[in-house]
Amino acid sequence: MNTAVETENLTKYFKGDGGKERIVAVDHVSLSIREGEFFGLLGPNGAGKTTLIKILCTLVIPDEGTARVAGFDVVKDAEKVRECIGWLHGETGGRALYWRLSARDNLKFYAYLQNIPKDVARRRIDALLEFFELDKDADRLVKDFSTGMKMRVMLARTLLSNAPILLMDEPTVGLDATGAIETRRLLQALCRELHKTIVFTTHNIFEAERLCDRIAVMNKGRVIAVDTPLRLSEITRKYMGVEVRFRGSAEEAVRILEGLRVVKRIISVESEEDHTVIRAEVRDEEQALSEIPKVFSLNGLRTIGVQVALPNLEEVFLSLTDEEK
Amino acid sequence: MRVEDIVKYMAENIPRGRVGAVEKAVAFIIRDFKIWWTYKLWITLDVLSSLTFVATYYFVSMIVTPQALIDAGYAADYLTFSVIGISLQHYVFASVSSLSDAIREEQWNGTMETLLSSNTSFRVFLLGESAFRFIIGSYFLLASLGMGVLLGIRLLLTPGSITAALVLTILLVASHMVIGVLGAAMILKLKQGDPIVWAFSWLTQLFSGVLYPLGLLPDWLKWVGNAFPLTYSLDGLRRCLMNGEGFDSPMIMENTLKLVLFIVVVLPFSLWFFKKAYDSTRREGALGQY
Amino acid sequence: MNRLEVLKLFMVEEKRTKSSLRQLSAVVWSQLKMMLAYKSWLIMDLLSTFASVVMYYFVGMQVDPTRLSQSGWGTSYLAFSLVGVATSNYLWACLTRLSHSIQHEIRGGTLETIAVTPINMFIFFIGLTARGYLVSLIYLVGVFTVGVYGLGAKLSFTPQSLFLFITLFVLMLVSNQALGLVAAGIIMVYKRGDPLVFILAAVNEFLAGVLYPLELLKRFPAVQLLSMLFPYTYALDGMRRVLILGASILDLKVLTDIVVLGVFSIMLVPLGLKTLAWGYNRIRREGTTSSY
Repeated sequence: MNTAVETENLTKYFKGDGGKERIVAVDHVSLSIREGEFFGLLGPNGAGKTTLIKILCTLVIPDEGTARVAGFDVVKDAEKVRECIGWLHGETGGRALYWRLSARDNLKFYAYLQNIPKDVARRRIDALLEFFELDKDADRLVKDFSTGMKMRVMLARTLLSNAPILLMDEPTVGLDATGAIETRRLLQALCRELHKTIVFTTHNIFEAERLCDRIAVMNKGRVIAVDTPLRLSEITRKYMGVEVRFRGSAEEAVRILEGLRVVKRIISVESEEDHTVIRAEVRDEEQALSEIPKVFSLNGLRTIGVQVALPNLEEVFLSLTDEEK
Repeated sequence: MRVEDIVKYMAENIPRGRVGAVEKAVAFIIRDFKIWWTYKLWITLDVLSSLTFVATYYFVSMIVTPQALIDAGYAADYLTFSVIGISLQHYVFASVSSLSDAIREEQWNGTMETLLSSNTSFRVFLLGESAFRFIIGSYFLLASLGMGVLLGIRLLLTPGSITAALVLTILLVASHMVIGVLGAAMILKLKQGDPIVWAFSWLTQLFSGVLYPLGLLPDWLKWVGNAFPLTYSLDGLRRCLMNGEGFDSPMIMENTLKLVLFIVVVLPFSLWFFKKAYDSTRREGALGQY
Repeated sequence: MNRLEVLKLFMVEEKRTKSSLRQLSAVVWSQLKMMLAYKSWLIMDLLSTFASVVMYYFVGMQVDPTRLSQSGWGTSYLAFSLVGVATSNYLWACLTRLSHSIQHEIRGGTLETIAVTPINMFIFFIGLTARGYLVSLIYLVGVFTVGVYGLGAKLSFTPQSLFLFITLFVLMLVSNQALGLVAAGIIMVYKRGDPLVFILAAVNEFLAGVLYPLELLKRFPAVQLLSMLFPYTYALDGMRRVLILGASILDLKVLTDIVVLGVFSIMLVPLGLKTLAWGYNRIRREGTTSSY
């Protein structure tokens, strides 16, 4: 499989306040993203995600290292890179449009800049406007649009050029729940069925977990881990643990578990709407998984499920960024 | 500070004092001054570039014959005549349009909604805003008159003429604050351009006698200038400053009365109009829109 | 339209032919479309064109024709000021328009969205100036029409004078636009200094003698010297000679003006292009292609 995006020791410094201090925005980042991969960048504010994306779309010139997009160097072959990418900066909240043009005119304008033939452009613009439910408002000036509508125009603009590599910086910011779901589905379909490479940043960890093939966790300019969401959970596990869901008395359950040899300690007891979840550190996962339901049922507790406790992405993220500190 | 501390802090019940309209207006002026101060460079350069206008008329006056000025009853000095005209015209319309700009900016930034929701009446808001514009805009007036003095304009100052000039200046400012309110109302309603301010600006350039005495206009155009307070202010101030006339002169009295009349008639109307515009945009929920 | 239908449209890869001309026309088209969204502004502009010509007509009534003719510009102040007023708008457009538009694009975040498309940024920048040129053209034609046909200013419009006028005019645009490129490059990086360009244009307008004969500057040699540093001074001098005095190509002064403007253009154009490229690369290095 070919590589869509590749960076090697990519580094970018910015001047800090007063111009004396040097702030590292991107710190020796080496990444390799495969063609057709849904790749997530996760990290707190100021981690360097946006700068990294901007380097990839030739908006920021790096200070050290190299970056290649679709095989082209982002500095030397900037124009070739631009032909292969679509970029969306969701954080601008719909500002990066021409407010005094209508939605359709905005799209038309960018279609021309992208050298898309007229008839193809017209068909795609109509299709995208309809998909994003903008067809009724297509000829109104963008300045009168709500944030969500502006966001959808921006999404349409990014997809318009049918670029093989999509650099999506917070594409679901400002969308309502349905809009976000539809957009996520579209992105997923673009990736699965048209083999587009999608590099995607988000603050929404749930979103990243659901969509991404692999995730890079960034903090203070550095990539501190790159892997599949599942493997990221595994490597950040600090203990062997199980998670039991059951109905019945929680005190009773805790008492039973503490009596078992395989259980080292109880980590948490949380009551959900109609059942209870207990996490416990164990000496042997396999043994715990088979033993606990049996003992529970002997004592009249109804086990709903028992599984190996993996930290969710949120915990992974916190534990990784905590380690950094 | 931890969450608990903040909660405790907010829980304290402090009785609210009553803040009067004047204090609020002063608060506006201070806030605006702080914002204005961040534009130092702009303002310095704005003054400098506008001074090129005064310098231009220094040279234009060299080829002008003062006959038309003498016919109109002014001293025979085109430089003084044109510098007074330009600097006052520029001053009032810079102030008036900056009020409109301020309103538009408040709307643009969404600060207008915050402001008016903070228990402040629109009159106080308008008073504070417009007073500030006229106070701060006077830098231009002073700079261009100062530049004029350097280039040799001749002002005839007597106690009588100074008193009259001060009264006329106050009336000039007050009457144009009224126009500013009209412009602000248009901004609220139309959300773009400020046709009123703009129309006043070029109509006065043509018909208020900024660069030439009105005697030069053909008879069928002379009446247009009567609609604008700038016409009376300019005529009055020129008679004071160029001829040394005071309130004993009937022309000065006439101009003063006309200005007072303008304010008395138009002020209630413009406040009513602003309130209408303000209420209707609130009804449409479009106050913070742009 | 559901997801699958959208996907289908993207299945076929279309043939793309890169055309800079098409991109340029797209930029100009969008600029004009946005300008027309401000209809009231356009009408206001046209009205104020009319107003300013009429204003100079009345100022001209006070001008002593003998004093004007002593400086060698005939006896009509209206004709004299008309040429200055009609062309000075272009001076402003050339010097300030591009830097202003770029600032606007940077603040709105649209510069970035354009920079990631495969357009050559120079084409984009050229397209951005279109609006200023068009408005100034309307203004120029309006001023001449009102002045000549409405108020009876006497200007010589013969094939030869028009040809010379256009030559001088184009050279004025080229040299001043080059200055505008320099300004735009610098302002792009420092994000301020808009007022500096503004004052440059205002001082330039004053020094070139838009409203008074430059002969009057003789009393102030330093100021006169300063006025000779700006291309517009020569352009205005030449255009007035041609339109007011009916000077021909054989007129030594007109020839001098053309040559000086040519030299200005040859020197300034490469400088302008380099500065603009420098500015654009610099902001990409500093990561300040948008600022808000």
